[in-house]
Amino acid sequence: MKSYEVKIAKEKLLPEAGIVKAPSPNGEQESMITGCWRVLRPVIDHEKCTMCRSCWIFCPDQAIEVKGEEMAVKLKYCKGCGICANVCPVGAIERVPELDFEGGVVRLEKLF
Amino acid sequence: MGKVQEITVWASGVVQDKEARDVAQCLAAAAAKEGKFIQAFDNYVDLPDRVNVPVRKYARISDSEIEEKYLYENHNPEIVILVEPTLVKGVDVLQGMKGDGCLILNTGRSPEEILKFIPDKTPLKKIACVDAMKICPKAVIDFSGSEGAVEAAGVGVGIGAVLAGAAAKVSGCVTIDSLMSEVGNPEAAKRGFDEVTIKEL
Repeated sequence: MKSYEVKIAKEKLLPEAGIVKAPSPNGEQESMITGCWRVLRPVIDHEKCTMCRSCWIFCPDQAIEVKGEEMAVKLKYCKGCGICANVCPVGAIERVPELDFEGGVVRLEKLF
Repeated sequence: MGKVQEITVWASGVVQDKEARDVAQCLAAAAAKEGKFIQAFDNYVDLPDRVNVPVRKYARISDSEIEEKYLYENHNPEIVILVEPTLVKGVDVLQGMKGDGCLILNTGRSPEEILKFIPDKTPLKKIACVDAMKICPKAVIDFSGSEGAVEAAGVGVGIGAVLAGAAAKVSGCVTIDSLMSEVGNPEAAKRGFDEVTIKEL
């Protein structure tokens, strides 16, 4: 069988800056830590949570994960947009000011 | 070239873009009125078109002509103003500060409460908190001016005026009289000047 090679001029390839690097093995983008954008932190009330995973579906940053038997927020990447709190059918997600907490934010020396 | 006083204003992208720009512009305009040499400009490095991204606005004040025309960032800010106080937690806002610096935050919390989020306090001389949202509960959301268009809403009509007034008190970079003649809401600037809580370190 004959194989064909497609040659594309280098200048016609997509610019590198337009592409996000391949995900790291742990499934995170270490170069795009956006936790410092967050003003209001989503706090999940595990008593009320029914594990419907609406927040998991709607989160635009995929910052909500299923951890064992409960939902959890990846605070390293959550921008605090509040979509999860708005779509939660049982109102189990509360938005609390970030300055009420001691830690939970990766402190950046330099913005990306 | 004389000493250049560098002012950096931090804010959340789009939602506070205008207010942060107003703080830098009003302080620079007030200094110009006192006969000083000034520069005031936005930073485009941060891609400020994204909602809530940390953005910076800059102003420079000097007694003699400012030579660094093509330096697009303030590398050694003396006065740092946070329109969004939460940024103190996630970003090293004091980066490059050489000492005797001022940090002004738009928050109802006390300066002591904010200080625990700053790991390295050595370059800081004064920290001040002013509850601008309580004094002037109008944050203008307007993106027109940053691309060089006309400021349709007016300059210094919202919380930016309060923060500029607080900065005038804390740092003394401009007098409150010249500032009040430049902002769109002089009462808010005066209240910011009067009601700011300052803690000396």
